[in-house]
Amino acid sequence: MCDNCGCNVTDANRHLLENDEHHTIEVLENLLHENDIQADHNRAHFEDHGVFAVNIMSGPGSGKTSLLEATIHALPPGLRIAVIEGDLETENDAERIRRHGVPAIQITTGMACHLDAHMVHEALHELDLTGIDILFIENVGNLVCPASFDIGQHRNVLLLSVTEGDDKPAKYPIMFRAGDQVLITKTDLLPYIEEFSMARARASVRAVRGDMPIIELSSKNGNGMEQWIAWLVQSVAEQKIAA
Amino acid sequence: MHETAIVSGLMRILEQKAARNGVAHISSVLLKVGRLQAVEPQQLVACFEMFAEGTVADGAELVIYVVGVRGRCRACATEFDVPRFHFECPACAGSDIEVIQGQELYIESFEASSVSSVNNVKARADV
Ligand SMILES: Nc1nc2c(ncn2[C@@H]2O[C@H](COP(=O)(O)OP(=O)(O)OP(=O)(O)O)[C@@H](O)[C@H]2O)c(=O)[nH]1
Ligand SMILES: [Mg+2]
Ligand SMILES: [Zn+2]
Ligand SMILES: [Zn+2]
Repeated sequence: MCDNCGCNVTDANRHLLENDEHHTIEVLENLLHENDIQADHNRAHFEDHGVFAVNIMSGPGSGKTSLLEATIHALPPGLRIAVIEGDLETENDAERIRRHGVPAIQITTGMACHLDAHMVHEALHELDLTGIDILFIENVGNLVCPASFDIGQHRNVLLLSVTEGDDKPAKYPIMFRAGDQVLITKTDLLPYIEEFSMARARASVRAVRGDMPIIELSSKNGNGMEQWIAWLVQSVAEQKIAA
Repeated sequence: MHETAIVSGLMRILEQKAARNGVAHISSVLLKVGRLQAVEPQQLVACFEMFAEGTVADGAELVIYVVGVRGRCRACATEFDVPRFHFECPACAGSDIEVIQGQELYIESFEASSVSSVNNVKARADV
């Protein structure tokens, strides 16, 4: 019996409907059901094209776009990438990516503080995934809610820049727990930010997820980039086997 | 403001269910919201009041039941309430914790206070 088709109206309960009285109707339906269905559809689309999809999340300005720009140059030849950029406003980030010869679609969300599966689906209509190995989806810079919306990604990557403070994972545990990989970014600035303790940052991440892999890197001076690239290369290979 | 996204999902479901059950007015709605959902109950209520205006749920009370986070240790199978998002097993200090409660975000049920007469006629006609 379900509440979807009226098959729950039976001789036994019809009187409840006919008598004008209070009654409880059980629903048990997830509020993000439609988003989740669309996300599964997106994921199937990625898998049909052999694409590994990564959702890049962080607070505003943690270095997501800079990381993607550095990644474009550090990836081994033969790995082809595309980018979907999410921002409240402006085409700036997509333009930054296109300057490096990589296809990029900008989603401007207007009011919404996160990407959802329908927005990503629309962007996919403009993006030819043929021959693409990795699709990066840069989410809206926001540490509150993007992780609540499945967009069809295979992995979540969370950035924490050293300028934000080492307690951000403790303040935004839901987002950091959703990560599959945490990157501590802008490490070239460490000498100038003595308040930031790498040990505290790592402990703060590990309190929300003890086995979280963490890479320290700088898109600016390239330190740590080889570990990040190795993670990507390995993830792409695993995804191709799984698909 | 992702509360608007969540509340529009809520309204869609309510309107569908109300139509299918011949409900003319909804007096209250019971939501289950896990603490691992980035949802602020107060904002949900405010947003719901706006969205519900002029619909079958106009003036309905939104009752939010907040569900705490519970984990199960993958190493020793201990189940425990997770305090302040600190995912560590109290028995063995293991950190590989499966979330068994706290991800909820669904409508449990709603109270229908009246049934539309149109639907009554239909229901009788097909007896
Ligand atoms: N020193 C230093 N600065 C960096 C690094 N990465 C990014 N930045 C700077 O940080 C600022 C924000 O970088 P973006 O890459 O635009 O950050 P973002 O996360 O994409 O920002 P939003 O999309 O607006 O949320 C820019 O001024 C960058 O030049 C880094 O590794 N080292
Ligand atoms: Mg950016
Ligand atoms: Zn949001
Ligand atoms: Zn244990």
